[in-house]
Amino acid sequence: MRLGMFFREALRSIRANAAISVAATVTALIAVFILGAFIPSFMYVRSAVSAQTSKVDVDVYISDTASVKQVNALRDKIGTLKTDGQVAEFTYVSKDDALRLMRERLRDPSVLDELPSNPLPAKFNIQPTDPANANAIVAAVKDDAALDPTEGIVYPQTTADRLLTAAKFVQWAGFALIGILLVAAVLLIGNTIRLSIFARRREVEVMRLVGATNWFIRWPFMIEGVICGLVGAVVAVAMLWGIKVGVVDAWASGADTALTKTGSAGGAIAFPLLTVVLVGAGALLGAVGSGITLRRFLRI
Amino acid sequence: MARIDDDIHDAGSTPRAFTLVEVPLETVPADLAVVTPPASEKRRRGDVFRPGPGPMVQFQGVIKRYDGDVRGLDGVSVSIAAGEFVFLVGQSGSGKSTFIRLCIRELRATSGHVIIGGRDLGELKRSKVPYLRRAIGCVFQDFRLLPDRTASENVAYALQVTGHSRQEVNRRVPEILALVGLDGKGDRLPRELSGGEQQRVSIARALVNQPRLLIADEPTGNLDPDTSQGIMDLLTRINRTGTTVLVATHDRDTVDRMQQRVIALHKGRIVRDAEGGYNEDPGDTGEIA
Repeated sequence: MRLGMFFREALRSIRANAAISVAATVTALIAVFILGAFIPSFMYVRSAVSAQTSKVDVDVYISDTASVKQVNALRDKIGTLKTDGQVAEFTYVSKDDALRLMRERLRDPSVLDELPSNPLPAKFNIQPTDPANANAIVAAVKDDAALDPTEGIVYPQTTADRLLTAAKFVQWAGFALIGILLVAAVLLIGNTIRLSIFARRREVEVMRLVGATNWFIRWPFMIEGVICGLVGAVVAVAMLWGIKVGVVDAWASGADTALTKTGSAGGAIAFPLLTVVLVGAGALLGAVGSGITLRRFLRI
Repeated sequence: MARIDDDIHDAGSTPRAFTLVEVPLETVPADLAVVTPPASEKRRRGDVFRPGPGPMVQFQGVIKRYDGDVRGLDGVSVSIAAGEFVFLVGQSGSGKSTFIRLCIRELRATSGHVIIGGRDLGELKRSKVPYLRRAIGCVFQDFRLLPDRTASENVAYALQVTGHSRQEVNRRVPEILALVGLDGKGDRLPRELSGGEQQRVSIARALVNQPRLLIADEPTGNLDPDTSQGIMDLLTRINRTGTTVLVATHDRDTVDRMQQRVIALHKGRIVRDAEGGYNEDPGDTGEIA
């Protein structure tokens, strides 16, 4: 019965202060929209970065003068690393394979025909189970007799380190941004509801006069905030859904672009879950915003 | 130190102030009796601020200083017994409003004790202040009605705040409106009512929770003399039902006509406390900040 009364009071207030209620709703809408656009983008970037990180591999070049026995010894050494779990996979790339790959990569392969002989060394391409294992793998094979003296071992040490740092940075920057967005949204909605409370401060005064407890006064305002937050969130989700279906999905299915390849499917947040998160955030924003703002008016 | 909270939580049944059985005067209309609440009325935990025996209002050496060195009250000691009708008179700035705001704990005394119904308000927890206010009816010069609600809704609000059921609200609001002489005007908005009628709505709102103490701050300040007379008659009738009535005013004519106890304040001190009229101002006639 009381909840019904609070609800009626909240609706009465929304109707009485229609302009302010619309302002609060639009504020919630913008906040939730930005949040809703940011969360999937952030998760996409994060998955793209981690996809890049997993691509760190080690190339061990083999000297042209190495004997078959030496090459087999090296292969066994790497095989042991695989048994240890440091290496996920490794492949042998012969001199001919290397040349063929080069030919495929070049825009004008005819330049290779000018070569008197194949200058490319054979190699083992090693994929570590974890980018962090790259150093240990390098340490294990770096003095091997079969190694090409000039090329030796090539692996993107700095790239790997940078990617790992970037992945961490993206993660923390993302969380910080989401936090800042939430705080800004709470303050914005609180400020808008402050207008509503200010317009009704006489009412609050009368409530206190007739002996209303602070929670009794607070409930209708908080329900008002939740309603504005919910409506704003639902509209924002509808807009996001429109953008997802109309723009993102069409673009993703249309072209087999590099971007869609790098962003793994597991990295994107499912839309229903995003909806739940955003609508919850909208309601919470409204409640917290009005709750915080009311504190000032409820002293004494 | 008295355990105030324990008393508040004690929800035993005592006769309510609005039982009109013993009232001997013909001036009280018969319909007043219907305001008596039924015995089955719901009592909630912490819902009751029940005045004990002894004076209704007691000030002991109360000093109230505002920011700076402005003195609202400067050592006031006075006692008002249950059932009294008292005028609080003085010019603007004499301390009348400070006195009233101390009674409902809108302000706290800088020093001294404000004791309402036997409870020292200085020791009352902030969370219990709403229950104090439900036990005191307040009426103001500017009515303080909610402009977007009808007379009925304004009165009903005070009942909803105290957690009464909708049936009870629907039953009691028309009764109390009839009591203050607003029969059939419950559906009007405040702006559709005259000043005197608005003040009657505000009195109805103050009475609907059956307070033992009714405080009126310049209740006739915005009204013409005839209307003022009607409001004072209503307050007198309420007083005859056993409710203590404290009226702050500088309406000399009204005070002279009523011949009740008059407490005169000047510069935050009591300069006279006697039955009779308004009397001469003891001090200068200028405004005191």
